[in-house]
Amino acid sequence: MTTASTGDGTSGGPAQVAQDQQSTEASPQPPSTSEDRTARLQMTDISKRFGAVRAIRHADMTVDVGRVLAVVGENGAGKSTLIKILSGAVIADTGTITYEGRQVSIRSTSDAMALGIATVYQEPQLFRELTVTENIFMGREIRKGGRIDWAAQTQKVVELLALLELPPRYATAVVGDLSIAEQQQVSIAKALAGEANILILDEPSAILTDAEIEVLFRVVRRLTDSGVSVIYISHRLDELFRIAHDVLVMRDGRTIGTYPIGELTVRKVVELMVGGILTETKHERKLDSEGKARLELTGLGRRGEYHDVNVAVRPGEIVGLFGLVGSGVSEIADSIYGIDHADSGRILLDGRPVSPRSPLHAQRLGIGLLPADRKQQGMFTFQSIMFNISAGHLTLLSKLRVWVDRVRERKIAQDMISRLAVKTPSENQPIGAMSGGNAQKVVLARQLVQRPQVLVLAEPTQGVDVGAKEEIHRIINELADAGTAVLVVTSDLPEAIRISDRLQVVRNGTTTVEFGPNATQVDVLAAAAGDVDGQQGSAKRPA
Amino acid sequence: MSIDVAQRDQTPPSGPEPTTKGRHRVLSPPVTGQELVLIGVIAVLWAILAFTTPAFFTPSSIQPLVASVAPIALIGIGMTVVIITGGIDVSVGAAIAVCSVITAKLVLVQAGQSLPVALIISVIVGGLLGLLNGVLIAYGRVHAIIITFGTANIFLWIALKIFNSTTVNNIPDTLAPLGNGAPGRTFGVPNSFLITVVLAAIAWYYLRHTAGGRHFFAIGGDQLAAQLAGVKVRQRILAAYLLTGLLVGLASTFVVAQGSNLGQNVGNGKELAVIAAVVIGGTSITGGRGSVLGTVLGALLVQTVASGVTQLGWRSELSDLFVGVAIIIAVGADLLRERARRKR
Amino acid sequence: MTVPTLSEPEATAPDKRSGARGPERAESLPARVIRALLTQRIVLLAVLIVLVVVYFMVLGANGYLTAAYDFDYMSAALINAVPLAMLGFAELIVILSGRGGIDLSVGAIVSLAGMIFGFAYGQWGWPLWLSILITVIVGGVLGLINGILVAYIGFPALIATLATYYAYKSLAVVINNQRPISTRPIQDLYDSTARSVQLPVIGAWIPDVPKGIFLFLLPTMIVVWLLLARTTYGRRVYAIGTNDVAARWSAIGVRATRAGAYMISGLISGLVAVVTVGQFASARPDAGVSGNGMALPAITIAVLGGVAITGGIGRVSGIVLATVLIVWMNAGIRLAFEGNAGPQNQLLALGLLLVFAALLNGFALRRYGGAG
Repeated sequence: MTTASTGDGTSGGPAQVAQDQQSTEASPQPPSTSEDRTARLQMTDISKRFGAVRAIRHADMTVDVGRVLAVVGENGAGKSTLIKILSGAVIADTGTITYEGRQVSIRSTSDAMALGIATVYQEPQLFRELTVTENIFMGREIRKGGRIDWAAQTQKVVELLALLELPPRYATAVVGDLSIAEQQQVSIAKALAGEANILILDEPSAILTDAEIEVLFRVVRRLTDSGVSVIYISHRLDELFRIAHDVLVMRDGRTIGTYPIGELTVRKVVELMVGGILTETKHERKLDSEGKARLELTGLGRRGEYHDVNVAVRPGEIVGLFGLVGSGVSEIADSIYGIDHADSGRILLDGRPVSPRSPLHAQRLGIGLLPADRKQQGMFTFQSIMFNISAGHLTLLSKLRVWVDRVRERKIAQDMISRLAVKTPSENQPIGAMSGGNAQKVVLARQLVQRPQVLVLAEPTQGVDVGAKEEIHRIINELADAGTAVLVVTSDLPEAIRISDRLQVVRNGTTTVEFGPNATQVDVLAAAAGDVDGQQGSAKRPA
Repeated sequence: MSIDVAQRDQTPPSGPEPTTKGRHRVLSPPVTGQELVLIGVIAVLWAILAFTTPAFFTPSSIQPLVASVAPIALIGIGMTVVIITGGIDVSVGAAIAVCSVITAKLVLVQAGQSLPVALIISVIVGGLLGLLNGVLIAYGRVHAIIITFGTANIFLWIALKIFNSTTVNNIPDTLAPLGNGAPGRTFGVPNSFLITVVLAAIAWYYLRHTAGGRHFFAIGGDQLAAQLAGVKVRQRILAAYLLTGLLVGLASTFVVAQGSNLGQNVGNGKELAVIAAVVIGGTSITGGRGSVLGTVLGALLVQTVASGVTQLGWRSELSDLFVGVAIIIAVGADLLRERARRKR
Repeated sequence: MTVPTLSEPEATAPDKRSGARGPERAESLPARVIRALLTQRIVLLAVLIVLVVVYFMVLGANGYLTAAYDFDYMSAALINAVPLAMLGFAELIVILSGRGGIDLSVGAIVSLAGMIFGFAYGQWGWPLWLSILITVIVGGVLGLINGILVAYIGFPALIATLATYYAYKSLAVVINNQRPISTRPIQDLYDSTARSVQLPVIGAWIPDVPKGIFLFLLPTMIVVWLLLARTTYGRRVYAIGTNDVAARWSAIGVRATRAGAYMISGLISGLVAVVTVGQFASARPDAGVSGNGMALPAITIAVLGGVAITGGIGRVSGIVLATVLIVWMNAGIRLAFEGNAGPQNQLLALGLLLVFAALLNGFALRRYGGAG
């Protein structure tokens, strides 16, 4: 039995570590290898439902001392709920959590922090106007007499920064001046300052360059060497082979199993993630495969976000763009719609180069876009369904461009409600109280009013229940059948495969492999996660 | 301690290593670029005024100027903290009315009390008013601007009731040590200004070097994150408004001390003057960033402009115009800097 | 914008099929009434108006008032409603536009535009219609300056309108050396704009109504209502006030719409300047800024009228009812107290009402998820 070695003051809790823990088998999984391991925390039979939706059921997770546990699973598999339960943001309905052998209850974020569980999110929760030192010590300042002991704090911060390979002068840098990647490192430092012994990293590499990822891995290794447990959530499967000791696979709200990394390949992981789910019957579509493309992106690039993107969509065709977090796929959509502008390459509409400068301009060109983040970018929350649908077409639905044509507007709203099967008693209902699926249909309806030539749909069924998802897919098919060129940008793998006539994978900011209508989930995910050749961990890394 | 001006505005740390002067400098520098600009502007203004009106640099002109800065700057200290937390207090003008009429009429004229008593009572009354604001805002979860609009009216009613429609006359000179005359000065500097500077220095220190002080900035930056970090958000917000109220109480004694009469429109519009001083001084109206030094400089600038306009024989209302322009320039510069920073 | 990482089916509103705004269980009548009171501002205001009027009438019947609180009096008191409600509309539009929208400069615009009107009509002898037109245009330009500062340059509205408040206020005083303009034509304006008149046809049965109501208030009310409820511009204002990111994604010109709101506020303030000059028979340089100024009561009316300070919620009917409530309440207070106690108690009532309304808003938001 190994005990966690105490390192530079960042090691974990009391010395119960040496106790004989239940071995790490909680659910059917291959026996552990000869590596010794000591469980620090165990979650058993965890379930959680939100209303009618069961987010996770009978989930088990064991977090070992000094090891990196990667948690993988598709969107909707339950990863984030499980992690939120661990970090105290959500309370589990059933199940037990034991910490170093004794049962604990985590009912709030402070409970979790008291146990030494710290989370580093993608969005750094830092105070932009304050310095790194102040951020790290906010709420737990080191005091001397009545005043803050800046010297002691700075010293501690410099130590932490050294661990993260950042120079000491960062201690007095204002956080708002730092890059996103640096801010993430500060978040990690902040977690460590709290004597964390379970560090949760949520998609840390999504925003990092390759060099920064190397630094991150070194930091993680240093941490585990000193006994900290690291939970690493990522979609980038090839990375796991460089940093994780064990992999926990989740699917459909269940934990499928925990496997030592040595027994896995990227392909195996993908297979486990996807399981035996068959792709549902695909809608049969007739395609004019010789037609000219309506929308074409050639060599499109935007510094820092994506490069060399080549996509072509013909009228009546549905092209899927599948990319994982950080692949740059959503930024591509933004550029087509005029929210951002590409700096190289061309966008061609029916062969003519166009340069959409704003959403209004894009709309005039006949391009519609369903935004990815419904709440922030799509919904006028306390306004009615009718308001929401008309919002994008006020000039169209007007007389003399000034008076709102309420009769026409109402009719369109009612038409849309029935056509998209929106469950509502009337078009006057405020959209804020509706379920995700219904609200999404309303926001989608807005895009359909002026039958666009090109329709880009970003994450069309994110946060949408199964029934509404079916209906939205049906509508997308109808649109294509009627001649619209449809581009679906999504990180939902089954959806991407199901709905696309052609599916292009976006990875590391550029379009890569293209799949035809018969792609399998395993192939696509493998391509998106970087293992095109099916080799374990030796995927070529683009410069 | 050297002042490394460019620290806040320099390129991000991936740039060249800053010099190590200031091994003790562990925070952002004590004086920001904006404040230096203000000092420069004030210096230039004073120079211009000194040349164009020889009477400017005489004690009889500088002293009233400095004394007039005192109440604005003093309340400005509290207002700075309030705005740093992301709030605002438009009731201070009315609160001045309450505190000053109570002090002048009840304490001095009617009860004939001494200076310490008057001081204490004024401060306590101000504190109660501030406490009301603080409780409603911290625990009522309503926007500060609305609440303080409402309490402004209530305070004004209280003040007018006490005034009872007459100017308060024949105020004894018990408060002379706080006033404009000779007994109100020490080595030629008005006591009110000295008190203000001392309190400002204490506030500056508190905001910079104590945990409680830094917590105000956190609340203004991201209230939720502050709460998660363990900051006692509600208590801090309450404290900010309470502090402002206490300072209003103190400042009101300066106001009362300045004359033997007190009119019913005392304090009218003063809240805007205080907010103007805070904003010109570089505190961000959206919260999370600010400085007491800037506020004092802002108040000094506003009063310099007012005094200068009078000295030059221009219409006194023109000073309002300049204040408006100053606000635009100060906040505009701030905006530009923010935008430049975000582009990196 | 990043692709959201982990998607879970929405936890917040799982299965609200019928989408009723409140809980699904059957509500008793009292509970429904309370909910209506708390969430529908119009209902609450109407109830309060009735209560206030009844209260003062009862007081009057019992001899506590110095004069009769009757319909004649109430009607005459409505002269005060004219500038108040109009500026309330101005604030309505600005606050609706969101992003911390507010206009502290309306009183100063009234002063400055009023002086312009004084010059045009009172000194240069321009025809009335032209003088009014130029005054309104000046107001619009002054408001547009606010709009550019806020929408295009990015100043917080509080700061921008604070600055212009100072600037315009001083200009109003300076351009005529602090002297008001009360020449003959100006004085005659009182008769044409402010006096009460008997309405044709039904006038015998109802009290005389101040002219200003018809000449200024009703037209403005109708125009603003049409603008907000029936035009595409009005929709845009609500859209940017509700969610200006979504508005941008919906191809709405956010900046132009927002700047326009401040310009409209200025236009209305310009018209109020004319009203004020007529009412006082004099163009005074401190017309809009004396005492507490006109901005504070206008903002109070807006908040009382149900406008959400964060934008996107608010209606003309709320402003009108809130104005009527305040005006009739003030009128009653004036009769109930002697001398200066009257105006003073008006202040108290206004302050208490505002705090009460704001707390109510907060409570209703938490309990029912929204107030209308």
